[in-house]
Amino acid sequence: MSNTPHITRRGLLRAAALAPVAGALAACATPAQQAPAASAAPAATSASNPFGVVANKPLEIWIFDGGFGNAYATDIHQPLFKTKYPQVEIKHNSTKEITKVLQPRFAGGNPPEVIDNSGANAMDMGALAQDGQLQDLTPLLDAPSWDDPNTKVRDILDPAVAEFGTYDGKFSVLGYVNYIHGIWYSQKVFRDNGWAVPKTWDEFLALCETIKKSGKMAPFTYAGKHPQYLYEPLLTMAAKIGGNEVLVNIDNLEDGAWSAEPVKQAAEAWAEVGAKYLMQGTTGLDHVQTQTAQNKYQVAMLPSGSWLENEQKDTTPDDFEYGMFAIPDFTASDKMPYGTLHTQPGESFIVSAKSANPQAGMEYLRAMLSKKAAGDFSELVRTVSVVKGAGEGRDLTPGAKSATEALTAAGANTVYYRWRTWYAQLHDEAVAATGQLMSGGVTPAKYVERLQKKADEIKNDSAIKKYTR
Amino acid sequence: MTTMTSWTIANSRKLARQERRRRMGPLALLTHLALLLWTVLTVVPILWTFLASVKSEDEIFGAAWSLPATLRWDNFARAWDQVHIGQYFLNSVIVVAFSVTGTMLLGAMAAYVLARYPFRGNRAVYLLFVSGLAFPVYLALTPLFFVVQNMGNVPLIGPFIGLNTHAGLVLVYIAYSMPFTVFFLAAFFRTLPTAVGEAAMVDGASHTRVFFQIMLPMARPGLVSITIFNVLGQWNQYQLPLVLLQERDKWVLTQGIADISTAAGYDADWAALFAALTLAILPMLIVYTVFQRQIQSGLTMGALK
Amino acid sequence: MFNTYRRGLFITAFLAAPVTLYLVYVISPYIQAFYIATTDWRGVSATPNFIGLDNFVRLFSDGIFWKAVTHNAALLVLLPLFTIVIALFFAFLLNVGSGGRGVAGVPGSKVYRVVFFFPQVLAVTVVAVLFQQVFRPDDSGMLNGPLMALGLSPISFLSDPGIAFWSVLGVMVWQAVGFYVVLFSAGLASIPRDMFEAAAIDGAGRVSLFFRITLPLLWDTVQVAWVYLGILALDVFAIVWVMTDQQGGPDYSTTVMATEIYRNAFEYFRFGYASALGVVMFFFTIGFAILSLRLSRRERIEY
Repeated sequence: MSNTPHITRRGLLRAAALAPVAGALAACATPAQQAPAASAAPAATSASNPFGVVANKPLEIWIFDGGFGNAYATDIHQPLFKTKYPQVEIKHNSTKEITKVLQPRFAGGNPPEVIDNSGANAMDMGALAQDGQLQDLTPLLDAPSWDDPNTKVRDILDPAVAEFGTYDGKFSVLGYVNYIHGIWYSQKVFRDNGWAVPKTWDEFLALCETIKKSGKMAPFTYAGKHPQYLYEPLLTMAAKIGGNEVLVNIDNLEDGAWSAEPVKQAAEAWAEVGAKYLMQGTTGLDHVQTQTAQNKYQVAMLPSGSWLENEQKDTTPDDFEYGMFAIPDFTASDKMPYGTLHTQPGESFIVSAKSANPQAGMEYLRAMLSKKAAGDFSELVRTVSVVKGAGEGRDLTPGAKSATEALTAAGANTVYYRWRTWYAQLHDEAVAATGQLMSGGVTPAKYVERLQKKADEIKNDSAIKKYTR
Repeated sequence: MTTMTSWTIANSRKLARQERRRRMGPLALLTHLALLLWTVLTVVPILWTFLASVKSEDEIFGAAWSLPATLRWDNFARAWDQVHIGQYFLNSVIVVAFSVTGTMLLGAMAAYVLARYPFRGNRAVYLLFVSGLAFPVYLALTPLFFVVQNMGNVPLIGPFIGLNTHAGLVLVYIAYSMPFTVFFLAAFFRTLPTAVGEAAMVDGASHTRVFFQIMLPMARPGLVSITIFNVLGQWNQYQLPLVLLQERDKWVLTQGIADISTAAGYDADWAALFAALTLAILPMLIVYTVFQRQIQSGLTMGALK
Repeated sequence: MFNTYRRGLFITAFLAAPVTLYLVYVISPYIQAFYIATTDWRGVSATPNFIGLDNFVRLFSDGIFWKAVTHNAALLVLLPLFTIVIALFFAFLLNVGSGGRGVAGVPGSKVYRVVFFFPQVLAVTVVAVLFQQVFRPDDSGMLNGPLMALGLSPISFLSDPGIAFWSVLGVMVWQAVGFYVVLFSAGLASIPRDMFEAAAIDGAGRVSLFFRITLPLLWDTVQVAWVYLGILALDVFAIVWVMTDQQGGPDYSTTVMATEIYRNAFEYFRFGYASALGVVMFFFTIGFAILSLRLSRRERIEY
């Protein structure tokens, strides 16, 4: 070590002189210019082959391997697709790291045809839309359905699907599952203890007090590690108090959308639950841990969505009987009636516009939307799909049944928000702030102020693409 | 001190020993307490993981230190069969074996030349290597993906070094280990005496022969310690394989572990997670314990000399 | 003449493979990354737009990134400090701290040295997942279980923003100490025994033995340790990303530069901006390296 060189200014300059050489090298690190996918002209279209799928061109599929697993793709969807196109070779893959695995493939110009772009590591839909990577799926909506040449696909879908999957005026994301959000409990526990589903917020608080006093279990919990599980009921409640426009304003980044009175009232309401009725340790637990605690009768209620029952199938006691109720009335003068629900299509399937075989990709989605495929799917993963009536005549589990009934009762009174996927930074801020709200780190007033500030920041950032609804 | 006779040393030792024994009784106890405390801190989390690996799901969510009612070895069966920990482990061994060998060979060659042969541009090449120490890896992930993808298009050898190949990952590991390896080995080569090599040159040995037959053996302590660093570093690497190896059967161990950990968020097989963690930890501890003497002496000699 | 030719050939032959590999796999992606830092690339298109230094201007007002920088800075000071103090203490006890047999380590020092090193051989992702379980907030947590059994209230190791950072630091120290115990032990072994003996004759207690002899003679090794640990502190990623709530939370209380780069790239799909953050991080690291090389004057160390 007698003369380890100092990094001197001259040395750095000399190194810099090498830059041009290196510049040539940089060419190595750019996407290879892919020859435009030798897209053999699509085969002729027909009523039974509306997109012109070529009989022997391969199809690559990536499934997000999350709560629903990926068996539904290999055991239900792909065999069905194969019945019609036996020569199409299907390359099936699954991952939990959608972004890291697939983002470079998009940048490299050879994305796979069909992607279930879901989960915590999903790709930013906005970025994909902005770069024209999403196949326009409007033809899919207008194509005849798999089962009946006289019915359009559009007509068998929940209408929210088209609305929710639209980016820049083009329908390009197919939500396959209908997520229904609410407060989940064990019907058995409520029955055994004589607890009633609360209709008003006062009843809800009284119930929490009763449960707490009973000493049998904690009243309430949520996935403390992932506070988005709590801002969901908070915002649904805000919409109930102040009407659907509360959420529309938030989505559209309107001035003062977050600091509006209904949001603040909802924040105050939930902060009270956070201060008084949470299961011990809630802030440090994730969704699996809290849900397991509920299965073990350590806590009575938690906010979640209709995927819950499937997610917990291994730890739920046989007589647990999941049930779900809508957010209670905050006051008698709420703008939206009792039973209002937050629902939204989830499990987002896309077809890559720049893939080699988008026609087969769209046809695959059409197969997925057949009554048989959707019904088998619902049964396998215990959840409600977006295909109308696909669950009819199927054996529904207690939770799925309860959620379906709540959905019927809600009728047209359903709400949703889209800022979460539109503005990921705002989502992260809301997650951080909601965690703090529930543990008493910020007051409700500061909470809305903080989120308003972040929303304004995003609004004024020209580098972030804006959306409106 | 050098003037001290052996008698005085022996005598003073005796005196000092007596003196200290008298004074340090309670202190010695505290010493052991401190050492024991850290031992507990080190070992207990690992043992606790082993314990949890034979518990049932319910017990894992129950009291932390309760013993399992029955030993659930099937957790390991699941970790092995369904999660393929064995396959990932083997992949890791293969990749790291080749990449560390390559790293050490190429790193030593470059470091030796840069340390011992002044030439125009020597300093620039050296700095180029060393500056790599300051690059955050994730910055390069996406461009690197394209590099490897393009490598896959090279005629003849392409299919072996492109994406989803272990050989491709080995080359990447070698390249990313260069800054660290060259930096320390160059420093090390500079400290070695020049006389032996020069004498051999006079006797007509070639530069290459001097390197392989004289300098490398002399540099052994340094090589051993840098080898260990590289084994640890490459064994633990997660970001690079995640992007470059997408096919499940090619995965390395860190990918497997992270996958189970993410999976725990969806299908909740916590028992298998602990079993997989145990399977990842145990072999490393065994290998380390077997070779600990070589590893420790190698590490310290290299780091100090 | 022939010799010069042979020498040149040798140099070229030995450098060709390593330099080529390095240029292709390391330098070329980084050059690309520096270029990306001046674009608005969102990661999925083939043609990013050049926007000059906009990303760099933007990052000055990015509160979260600067919060991350302060966390790195805190780690840069605290990680080496705690690790080195603890490691020196144990190395001293293991090598010279014995009460009984002259200037020697305590009995069982070999075993301690082996055991202390255990965490070092575990993959960082494994350590992160492991401690996530250790830190569980209820009675199923390794630490909170006993606490609650004693009737104390559980500690929110990872979910209290005031504590989470210290949990991260604790895990990093936990993993690092063993290695530096071994490193310092070797340093101590190379100090002539006579020095300790002589001091002991003068009646020096263990404390003054440590400060008068051990520390000054180990000073160079301590500096090396500081540089290693400093780079570790600037580079930390996996522990934070895998172990903490909300990857750097709660409420950004544990986030570091690397996680923000990662978040911007792979979650917000702002690869241009993330690359700009990476460039800033690169200069921080270079700055630290130059500074520590200057300060430690490694060339003075003689062996």
